[in-house]
Amino acid sequence: MKENKSILKKITGSREASLLIVLIILCIAITAKSPSFMTFKSITDMLKNNVVIMIMALGMLGVLLVGGIDISVASVLGFTGMIVGMLMKYEVVTSTPLLFVIAVAIGLVCGCVTGLVIAYGKVLPIIATMGFMYIYRGLAYVISNSEWASAENLGTFKDFALGKVLGLNNVIWVMIIIYVIFFIVMKWTKIGRKVYAVGSNREAAAISGISTKRIDVLVYTVMGTLSGLCGALAVSIYASAQPNMLYAKEMDVIAACVIGGVSMQGGRGSVVGAFLGSLILAIIAKALPLVGIESIAQNTVKGIIIMAVIILNVLAQRAMDRSNLKGREM
Amino acid sequence: MAGKSGRSISNVPEKAIRKNILSWEGMLVVVFILMVIFCRSISPNFHLENVLREMPKYLAEAFIMLPMAYVLILGEIDISVGATVCLSATMTCMACNKELPFIAVVLVCLLVGTACGLINGLVLTNFTELPPMIVTLATQIIFRGIAEISLGSGGSVSLTNTDGFRMIAGKVGIIPYIFFLVVILAVIFAVVLAKTTFGRSVYAIGSNRLAAYYAGIPVQRIRLIIYTALGFMSGLAALFLTSVLYGANTTTGNGFEMDAIAMAVFGGISTAGGKGRLAGGIISAFVIIMLRIGLGQINMNPQLILVILGALLILAVLLPNIAGELKVKKKAANTK
Repeated sequence: MKENKSILKKITGSREASLLIVLIILCIAITAKSPSFMTFKSITDMLKNNVVIMIMALGMLGVLLVGGIDISVASVLGFTGMIVGMLMKYEVVTSTPLLFVIAVAIGLVCGCVTGLVIAYGKVLPIIATMGFMYIYRGLAYVISNSEWASAENLGTFKDFALGKVLGLNNVIWVMIIIYVIFFIVMKWTKIGRKVYAVGSNREAAAISGISTKRIDVLVYTVMGTLSGLCGALAVSIYASAQPNMLYAKEMDVIAACVIGGVSMQGGRGSVVGAFLGSLILAIIAKALPLVGIESIAQNTVKGIIIMAVIILNVLAQRAMDRSNLKGREM
Repeated sequence: MAGKSGRSISNVPEKAIRKNILSWEGMLVVVFILMVIFCRSISPNFHLENVLREMPKYLAEAFIMLPMAYVLILGEIDISVGATVCLSATMTCMACNKELPFIAVVLVCLLVGTACGLINGLVLTNFTELPPMIVTLATQIIFRGIAEISLGSGGSVSLTNTDGFRMIAGKVGIIPYIFFLVVILAVIFAVVLAKTTFGRSVYAIGSNRLAAYYAGIPVQRIRLIIYTALGFMSGLAALFLTSVLYGANTTTGNGFEMDAIAMAVFGGISTAGGKGRLAGGIISAFVIIMLRIGLGQINMNPQLILVILGALLILAVLLPNIAGELKVKKKAANTK
């Protein structure tokens, strides 16, 4: 009896389990409405279209875990994507692997600068990344010089997102590999545990010998690196590079994390949560047209969902605190 | 919370702080004069009449800066103001195109703005655990989303009858009405912040919220009032913006939150809360407005102007921090 209760408690208490239940209910509801949803092709298409958000959600997980925030990610993506597009258009660099390396390197530098300004310049993350959001987006426009790279300019580069390995699209493989690396790093390595330590109690972490500033720089650098990678991926997936690529999508990335149970105060959240959160967001976006909500209302619905989730979180937390107190009274 | 120093009670450091801020504001005046000289030298069209003609569009942001300074002094942030402006401007244009009397149109505009601010305030005061950043992020998506829905697939609306708005955009001599309104409101906001119990409570909350609560300050009521005021002023900004643009679209008000925050931060208002005066914010608002007008007149790419503003925002926080750090290090070296 006692054991039963603890298992039940484990399931209802675990954020990931409740997310999984929501996910399954969503899938069943959508399949009932349109049976074609549960096919392999439809799911891989959906994943491919959301790879960028799903990968960036991992970087954002790290940033949120240390109690920061980064709203410049979509701009870094636009900046690197535009550079890749222009390099391709003017045939400066045409080798696909080299373009990816360039994009990742630029993202890394962008993220590192952000991290240094926040950690060593002591600028609040929201202020610093708000500034960088406009800087990188503006630079993307300056680089584009009111041109854009279309599919015919992108030649072999766009083939990357069309190629398949073992029946799965290349970009989905990239996502899976990054998720596996993150899962291992966050769960079983020193670095991962340090990130959690800094997020849960910065002072205690500093006293126990963790260089909190270095961890800060690290998470923003990783975030930038992933944004850079996503810049190249996005150009390949959408077969075009425009300066306003994924404008304002940083909100989606943060929303995915928040839905996935990552705390905005830091210290709480997991790779699985970020994955499920971004998956739920992707499925909702796919489901809205099926239940008759026009695409123009999608943003509003997304905003309301985020608001509902964060308020429910608070209410659940309050209820839990109350029941804990009750338990003590007994 | 020891590291986050509030306003000190003892006399000596108070003087030092005041001297610092005074020099910051003095510096801003110098920057302002340099900016005017700089703009005059790069653009032959940069003279009083032209500047005053272009000013209303940018002054709308100064409206938002005033209550935003309060929010920053509270140690909080609101990034939904751009979306609030977008929604109010959209509703205003639609109300105007429905042939409502002009006074009703003005009311719609202000009410929509106030309602947006009230929603932010209510959520934040009822769920105090939530960080303002994430709440206003969600409402930002919602407000702009509602504007998108009302604008429909076209994504924009234009005024069919501009009579009323032409009246608002009127001038006394060469000085537009909005200029007087900004000055009057700036004085009111500055006096309330510096001289009234309400204003001192804002500083108290920003320095140490828990202490303020135990001192009997109605923390949540003050937060609610400030967020609602921010919504109201965003509505006012939308009204004057409409009188310049004669329409609205889904990108109206984009970046207003950064401009308003940049003006306040550049004016020496700390984003960590509890510090700063409105006078600095007002001067820096005019510095930024001059910069935008000057750069706009030489046809600089508007995106490049955003790059410059973004860099200014970061540098305005970064440089004093670094300077402060160096000073502390020097002191430490001296005492050794």
